[in-house]
Amino acid sequence: MSEGALPEGDAALRVDDLRKSFGGLTATDGATFDVERGTITALIGPNGAGKSTLFNLISGFYEPDGGSVTVTGTDVTGMEPHEIADHGLIRTFQTPRKLAGMTVREAMLVGPRNQPGESFRALFTSPGAVAESESANLAAAERILAEFEIDHLATQPATDISGGQMKLVELARAMLADPAVLLLDEPVAGVNPTLADKLKDQIRRLNRRGTTVLLIEHDMQFVMELADTVVVLDQGSVLTEGSAAEVRTDDRVIDAYLGGNG
Amino acid sequence: MSPLGDPRGAPSGLTRSEELVLGVSAAFLLFLLVAMLTGALGPTYFLFLVGLAGMYALLSLGLNAQWGFTGLINFSVAAFFGIGAYGTALMTASGSPIAGGLSPLAGLAVALVAAFALALLIGIPTLRLRADYLAIASLGLAEVVRLIALNERWLTNGSAGVRGIPGFFRGWPVLSTFPDAMPGLRIEVIPGSPVILETAFWQASLNVLLVLAFAGVAYAVLRRAHRSPWGRVLRTIRSDEDLARALGKHTYSFKMQSFVLGSLIMALAGVFYAHLNLYVGPGDLDPITTFYAWVAVILGGSGSNRGALFGGVVIVAIREGTRFLNDVALPIDPAPLRLLLIGVVIVAVMRYRPQGVLPPQRELIWPRAVGGSGTPETPDSGVRERKGGGGDE
Repeated sequence: MSEGALPEGDAALRVDDLRKSFGGLTATDGATFDVERGTITALIGPNGAGKSTLFNLISGFYEPDGGSVTVTGTDVTGMEPHEIADHGLIRTFQTPRKLAGMTVREAMLVGPRNQPGESFRALFTSPGAVAESESANLAAAERILAEFEIDHLATQPATDISGGQMKLVELARAMLADPAVLLLDEPVAGVNPTLADKLKDQIRRLNRRGTTVLLIEHDMQFVMELADTVVVLDQGSVLTEGSAAEVRTDDRVIDAYLGGNG
Repeated sequence: MSPLGDPRGAPSGLTRSEELVLGVSAAFLLFLLVAMLTGALGPTYFLFLVGLAGMYALLSLGLNAQWGFTGLINFSVAAFFGIGAYGTALMTASGSPIAGGLSPLAGLAVALVAAFALALLIGIPTLRLRADYLAIASLGLAEVVRLIALNERWLTNGSAGVRGIPGFFRGWPVLSTFPDAMPGLRIEVIPGSPVILETAFWQASLNVLLVLAFAGVAYAVLRRAHRSPWGRVLRTIRSDEDLARALGKHTYSFKMQSFVLGSLIMALAGVFYAHLNLYVGPGDLDPITTFYAWVAVILGGSGSNRGALFGGVVIVAIREGTRFLNDVALPIDPAPLRLLLIGVVIVAVMRYRPQGVLPPQRELIWPRAVGGSGTPETPDSGVRERKGGGGDE
C-alpha cells in the first residue's frame, strides 16, 4: 500500500509547468499544482479548459511539450503509460471502456498489476504460483463487488451492464490495481443519484485506506462534498486552488464558468 | 466487424451448435469410412487429407493466437508458412542449393528460428503502432517473401523449387524404416473391391502422426496460455489497448509475444507440409494460404482454439471435397467454384452467426482458481455459457 511511502506533507502527485499544444491550439499552458498525499483533489473548469488533456499528460498518453510530472517522488515525465502505472498511478477514462467478450469479474481481474500469470513462461514453469495469485485476485475482486453491492453481476457480460454500473466496475478494477494515486475522469457522469452516492462512499473509503485521489467532475455538489482541495483550470492553466468553499466564492472562477473573460 | 459477435446470442445456441458440429463431424467421418471400405476413397489419400486438415488447423491456430487472442491483423500467414517450409527444405533436401542433407530435426529448428526472426523483423516496427500498420506491413511482407523465393536462385532454386526433401522421420530409429517394414495388408469388405494397405499407407500414417503431434502440442500450449492472466491481457488489448496500458500492461511486449507465438505455429505447418509434399516451390507461398487461414478462424470463431481446429478441417473438406466435382460432368471448371463456395460459406456465417460456429465460451481465468468457490452455479447469460460437461478451450 502507499501508506508510509512518503514523508508527511509531501506531494503524491506534482504537476510542474506542464505544456502541450496541438498545432496552433494550446491545450495546457503551464499548469502547476500539487496533490497532497492522502487527499482527494478535484480538478474543475469549464468545457475546453484542458482537464482531460491534463489527465492524458499526467498518465503518459500524451507526451508534454514541456514541464514535468512527479508521482510519489519519481519523475515520470515522458514515460509510457504502463510505466507510469507501474509507479502507482492508475487512471480511469471518461467514457467507460467496454471489454467485449469478458464477464464483469474477468474484466476486473485485468486490474491487479504484475500478476505472475501475465508471464507466458510462468504459465508453464510455475503454474502453482499462477493459481495461487489468481485465486487471491479472484477473491479480492469478489469482495469488492460485494462491497459495491454488485456481486450479482460477477458473471454477466461486461458489456451488458448499465452505464452507472460500468463506472462502479471501473473504480473496482482500478482499486484492484492498488494505486498510490488514482485519477478518476468524471466518475459520476451519467450515474443516477443513488449510485453516485455509492461511488462517493467508495472513493472516500479508498482514500481513507491511503490512496490519493485526483478527479475531474462537473457535478459541483459531488465535488463540494468530496474534495479536500479544488483546482480550477481555465484555458490550460491553473486559475486558482483552495478548499471547495473558497473556490466557490472566487469571482475569477465564476467569471470563467460564465464565460466572462474575453 | 465485431470481434466476438453479438454477446446476446441465444443462450442455448452454443450447445446446439456444438451438437451440430459433433453430429456433422460424426456423419462425415462415417461417410469417409464407408467410402474407404468400399474402395471409393483410397486409404492413403484419406490419410493425406487428414494431414492437410492438421496443417490447416495449425495455420488457423497460429492466426487465432494473433487475431483471435490479441486482434493482430496478419495478412502474411503464407509467408510464415513458407518460411517454415523453405527453412526445413533448404536444410534437409538433396536438391537444396545451400546446405541440404541435414537431419529434419535440424530443419525444424532452422525453420522455427527463421520464423522467429521474421516475426521480430515485422513486429518491431509495427506493433508499437495502431493495428492497421501491421496489416499493411504484413501484406507487403507476404509478397516480399514470395518474390525472394521466386527470384533468389542461389538460395531457393527460384521457380524450380526445392526437390528431394526427405520424410520427417528419416534417420530416426524404428520410425525411419517403419513404412518398409510393415507388411502389405489386403482388406476385402465388399467382394471384388479390396483395400490394399502398403508402404505408402504406412508412410502416410507417420505423417498423420507428425501433424497430430504438432497440432496437439500447439493446441495444448494455446489452451493453457489463453485461459490465464496472460490471455486476459491479450483480450483486453484486443478490446481496448489504451485501457490495458492505463492498467500498467506493457502492451507492446504482449502483442509481440502473441505475434511470435502465432508465427511459430504457422511455421510448424510449413515444416509439416515440406515433409509431406517432399517438394516446396514459390507457388506454395501464394496468398490463398493466408486467405484460407482467415476463413478458418472466422468460420470457427475468433478467439476460440476449438473453433480454429474446426475451421481448419472445414477448409480441407471444401478444398478437397470439391475435387470430386471433377468426376461429375459439370459444364464449368470446378476450381473457381471452390472459391465461390468458400465465399458463400463466409457470407452465410457473417449473416447468421457472426461470432463463428464455435465462439470462445470460457472466462479467461486460470481454471484451477475458478475451480473452487468462484464457479457460478448458474450459466451466465452471455457469450460464454457455462456447461456442466468437460469440454475444452
